Amino acid sequence: MNTVIDRSKDIGEFIPQPDDDMLICRCEEITKGEIRKAVHDGMWTLTEIRRYLRTGMGLCQGQTCSRLVKGIVARELGVSPAELEPATSRSPMRPVEMKVFGKEEA
Amino acid sequence: MKRYEVIIVGAGPSGLSAAIEAAKKGLKVVVFDENEKPGGQLFKQIHKFFGSKEHHAKIRGFKIGEELLQEADALGVEVILNATVVGLYSDKEVNVKIGDQIHHYKGDTVIIATGASENMVTFPGWTLPGVIGAGAAQTMMNLHGIQPGKKILMLGSGNVGLVVSFQLLQAGCEVVAIVDALPRVGGYGVHASKVARCGVPFYLSHTIKAVEGKDKVTGVVIHQIDERFMPIAGTEKHFDVDTVCMAVGLSPMSQLLKMAGCEMEDNPKRGGQVPIVNEYGETSVSGIYAAGDVSGIEEASSAMIEGKMAGVCVAEYLGYIEKEERDAELKIFEKDLDSLRQGMFAPKNRGKKIEKTDEGIDISTNLLEKGYVADDEIERFPGVTHKAGVHPVIECTQNIPCNPCQDACPKKCISTGDNITYLPFVKEDAECINCGMCVASCSGQAIFLVDEDCGDGTATVTLPYEFLPLPQEGDKGYGLSRKGEKVCEATVVSVKSVKAFDHTNLLTMRVPKEYAMKARFFKKAEV
Amino acid sequence: MERIAEHPILGAKEKGREVEFTFDGQRLKGFEDEPIAIALKANGVMIHRYTKKEHKPRGIFCAIGRCTDCVMVVDGKPNVRTCVTPLKEGMDIRTQDGVEAAEMKEGEGA
Repeated sequence: MNTVIDRSKDIGEFIPQPDDDMLICRCEEITKGEIRKAVHDGMWTLTEIRRYLRTGMGLCQGQTCSRLVKGIVARELGVSPAELEPATSRSPMRPVEMKVFGKEEA
Repeated sequence: MKRYEVIIVGAGPSGLSAAIEAAKKGLKVVVFDENEKPGGQLFKQIHKFFGSKEHHAKIRGFKIGEELLQEADALGVEVILNATVVGLYSDKEVNVKIGDQIHHYKGDTVIIATGASENMVTFPGWTLPGVIGAGAAQTMMNLHGIQPGKKILMLGSGNVGLVVSFQLLQAGCEVVAIVDALPRVGGYGVHASKVARCGVPFYLSHTIKAVEGKDKVTGVVIHQIDERFMPIAGTEKHFDVDTVCMAVGLSPMSQLLKMAGCEMEDNPKRGGQVPIVNEYGETSVSGIYAAGDVSGIEEASSAMIEGKMAGVCVAEYLGYIEKEERDAELKIFEKDLDSLRQGMFAPKNRGKKIEKTDEGIDISTNLLEKGYVADDEIERFPGVTHKAGVHPVIECTQNIPCNPCQDACPKKCISTGDNITYLPFVKEDAECINCGMCVASCSGQAIFLVDEDCGDGTATVTLPYEFLPLPQEGDKGYGLSRKGEKVCEATVVSVKSVKAFDHTNLLTMRVPKEYAMKARFFKKAEV
Repeated sequence: MERIAEHPILGAKEKGREVEFTFDGQRLKGFEDEPIAIALKANGVMIHRYTKKEHKPRGIFCAIGRCTDCVMVVDGKPNVRTCVTPLKEGMDIRTQDGVEAAEMKEGEGA
């Protein structure tokens, strides 16, 4: 945990793979290829990937794809998934309409 | 803002157990759950639980759920449903969405019992309508009374995949295959066997190549994979299905703990991202506890004990009980928990390849690879013995913490020895009165009453039967082997359904005596 | 898909009263307070929405309100999780296209 990723590491070029069109984030419709490319574009943390591609930022808030994205990024970086810091957790944990989020009890 | 002594997030087995223990000590407890109904996954669990009396063994999950709810209610625990906890902070402030408002609560202590979410794997077509999680299948059939599909392929042979496959059969669906990428069945052998004997084939070292269909699932192709999980060309198999069900593991739903600043770790043995906790579930943030699957994937039985531990700990934390009282109670819970964490499937043994039982008997390789014990393997297990007259045959071949069979027999015929995980055996001087209590009490449906030679060239086999329509006395059909293949003709001698059997009917069939040790299920002949 | 008339362990399920609702303008029947998704499933409806980018069909996936794949437009409101929203008499349920109600084909509509 909290492993600092060595940014000077050479992860090589992006090499297309036959299953790059596999959909990973079901809500935002992001593919495996897009995630792999993002890593080669320099997005090495899960938080960066999330902001760059919106994986896990759709309606379900990463319920299904977090683990899948983590695996893909880890493999691309040549590290174990356990070494990657998960994306930040913050409120609201579940999708909440803005009008509800703004309406706090008195 | 409202203040509570204990705020519990999640009204599943661990959350409710924690609430009950805390309330017993006089604490003011509130439980928030985002679902419409409390009980977590318990109300989808319709099988009898494993374990011993202390672990609610041989009681069906949904009944345990009802008991917990009643107990919590009687103790004045406030359970607020449709209440989604959207935020947790280190000062133990909790934000909850109830209706169309966000409410703020402050807990003197907080117990997070949010459970787990399902893992998924990807394959072409995995987003098509008809590809569902195993939890979805359980929700549909066991909560809402609807079949998830007509013809279903199950991906995953862990306990969830096996248990849900059996439930699908009980709901009248057809399970065309159980597929797993690993070379061995992941769940309990007894769960696999009860599905296999209904004729469901197992494909280990196989995975889904693609799901077919334009707007919805119409078929699926699986293929074999090698040790490096690479597909082997030419091994494709096609099945016509309308549903593909995924049971490929669970991940702790621990995001709230991370949000609160609890120290976390990624621990594959616990199923993923979990809080670092002491043996009673306290996190690095004083007063915030974690119990159940959120701190490591296990069974509901262990989740309940972890909940109790957290409940007792918060009572002491807030000064309701002395340290001595807490420690005395924790000691009992620890013992219960420890006994559940024994055997082949214990968390400590995860990923280990176990070749022999504790008794030194070779594990059935056929069971691990095909889901059933082969005829030439079954005789080596201690529960399988022969004698004149009706006697129990216990096809329990793996060390799992479970012993209801031992308590069920009024004549004390069955023993598991001095360890809950030992394989049960029939005492030599035992006098079986053919009451069937052992058959009905075995959560793994692995006990049969057999009269190997009735004197007229036939034998009788009594087996547990939990399907509808229930066969009737005199019905003719076939005896199915452990693999689920028709091996002989069979006639139903009797079907017993008494309250003490709790919906496990005892079907006795007459078969040619050569099949006394081979026929393990009954299928009615089609007219 | 078929409702389970009698379950070997759970027996016959208690249901709410039968109510009528519309799905893309078509009149269907379900039981009050069961999840919308279950009523639709009982009527053979598998497709709940089409995705925004790829226009791909989606239906029930998790059935417990987590994955949000089964969202539809209910009484004019999009993104309603049909697997956890109780069915009420007269509900207007529409297939969702992206984040809007799908246009109904000609001849449809109550």
